[in-house]
Amino acid sequence: MRDDSAAPVIECQSLAKHYGGAKALDNIDLTLLPGEPIALIGPNGAGKTTLMSLLCGYIKPSAGSVKILGHAPGSTQLSGQLSALPQDALLDPRLNVGRQLIFFARLQGFSSAQAKVEVQRVLDKVGLRESMTTRPSELSHGMRKRIAIAQALIGSPRLVLLDEPTAGIDPPNAKMIRDLVREQSSSTTFMVSSHNLDELERLCGSVIYLEQGRLISYGSIDEDNGDLDSSVLTLRVGNDLPDNFITLSEQLPSVKSVSKTAQGDFLIHTHNDLQASIAVLQLLAENNWNYRQLSRGRSLEERLYGNS
Amino acid sequence: MKVLILAQDEVLRLFSTRRGLISLFGFCLIWMGVLVYGIVPAARFLVGATESGLADVILPRIGIQALQLWPAPELAVYWFVSLSLLPALALLTSADQTASDRARGTLRYLVMRSSRLEIFFGRFLGQLFIMMSVVLATLVSVLIVIGLNSAEQLSQALLSVPAIIVNLIVVLSPFIALMAMVSVVAKSARQATIFAVILWILASVLLNFLTSTFPDVLMLQWSLPGSQIRDLYWLSEWDTLTLAPIPLIHTLVLLTVGAFIMKRRDL
Repeated sequence: MRDDSAAPVIECQSLAKHYGGAKALDNIDLTLLPGEPIALIGPNGAGKTTLMSLLCGYIKPSAGSVKILGHAPGSTQLSGQLSALPQDALLDPRLNVGRQLIFFARLQGFSSAQAKVEVQRVLDKVGLRESMTTRPSELSHGMRKRIAIAQALIGSPRLVLLDEPTAGIDPPNAKMIRDLVREQSSSTTFMVSSHNLDELERLCGSVIYLEQGRLISYGSIDEDNGDLDSSVLTLRVGNDLPDNFITLSEQLPSVKSVSKTAQGDFLIHTHNDLQASIAVLQLLAENNWNYRQLSRGRSLEERLYGNS
Repeated sequence: MKVLILAQDEVLRLFSTRRGLISLFGFCLIWMGVLVYGIVPAARFLVGATESGLADVILPRIGIQALQLWPAPELAVYWFVSLSLLPALALLTSADQTASDRARGTLRYLVMRSSRLEIFFGRFLGQLFIMMSVVLATLVSVLIVIGLNSAEQLSQALLSVPAIIVNLIVVLSPFIALMAMVSVVAKSARQATIFAVILWILASVLLNFLTSTFPDVLMLQWSLPGSQIRDLYWLSEWDTLTLAPIPLIHTLVLLTVGAFIMKRRDL
């Protein structure tokens, strides 16, 4: 019997997608293993949605190949194994939510009775069980998005691709979706595309960074954080600290240097991060300065886009 | 089997949407009008014309001599009316097999669970079931009228029912297949209908040119879907099936082209 637990969930070889002369994706080589959620990031037009669409089989590659769970995208063997929250896809506004989701479940092999139970389960997960008999046109944008996430959870998919799952969702429901991904990630591998880097940093174990259709980097969040070894701390503050914070903190014995990022955070380069953490916290307490968060390493946003 | 689940959903979709129910209600009203003010008086006229010998003079001239060969005059008129009306109805009702689902993105949800070909053929089959129901319902209404007039004619008419059903389904298949193909490239039902009309006009012009240029190539006159219908007016009962290969070939060709596009098109 084949052990699929360590087999790649996604394999891309020299994958490219061109629209006329424009290269939406260019020569992507990528092998992703099952496990913690994978972040897919990059600026607008980087090729995130194109990559997601290729993985789902919505579009065909111009060159190269893709394999999802060992099969070509669009293959019938992927039914129930791969699911997705596609960007801008809508359910039929004329038919009620329950009816459409039950139909999806039936296509995944559930009997009519099982399908109804399964749909109630996934709607429960996104807090919208009462929407079974509601038409999508009667729901808010956020609720429609949650319904779309619910359809992606029908059955026991091994790989779920979520394109901007929390875009347009209010904070409590965005948190609920993150919790849902965390909860399911022991049995399902998620790939999550988002512009919310804080969210991805907290949620994902590895990150794929695309820019102008090219794969710039791929690795675990921690591996990618090259500052961990050199002991950098990031201090996030609510209100700006007085100017003398940098001077005073640089006088601490365990601190090498302090700089301020464009985002307003302080990057503290240390000789010893543990001692420096204690010393910085003492300095903040003595001066009655408030702070939000002190963390090891640089934030994902700072690593990708910071210039300090 | 996923194709059957998709086909079943296509049928149920008709009864689950306001637009579908309004269309059904509208069709029932129109059919009642056709039956009461069209088929019944025409059948009476046919009986009278046959008795007076007028039918022998008029009907061959307008190419529908076979009306006299059916076991009941209502059935004869039904055959004529259904051959004229149902292809247009099939074109209209089956226009949105995949078009709006693609434009809206709903197909993206479906292709995660079934193949593109299963969706394509499932929707086609569903539309075929819908038209089969239309044929059955309209035929039953005509049989009721025949039964009210003469029990003897009804028993004879019932023997012709299988031939009519099989034949009308075969006749309607290429029209549904045409809309399945056009729906793959259109963004809405309306656009699909417009594409079908444009395609039809262009194909007719091209065929007229080709038939006038190459008059010896007889196959050309059978190239358009529905081209055999005018000849079906001359036939009755099981004889009508002699022309069945033509619509079946049309259906096969249109479905092959549609499936080819469906498989390759971006969603």
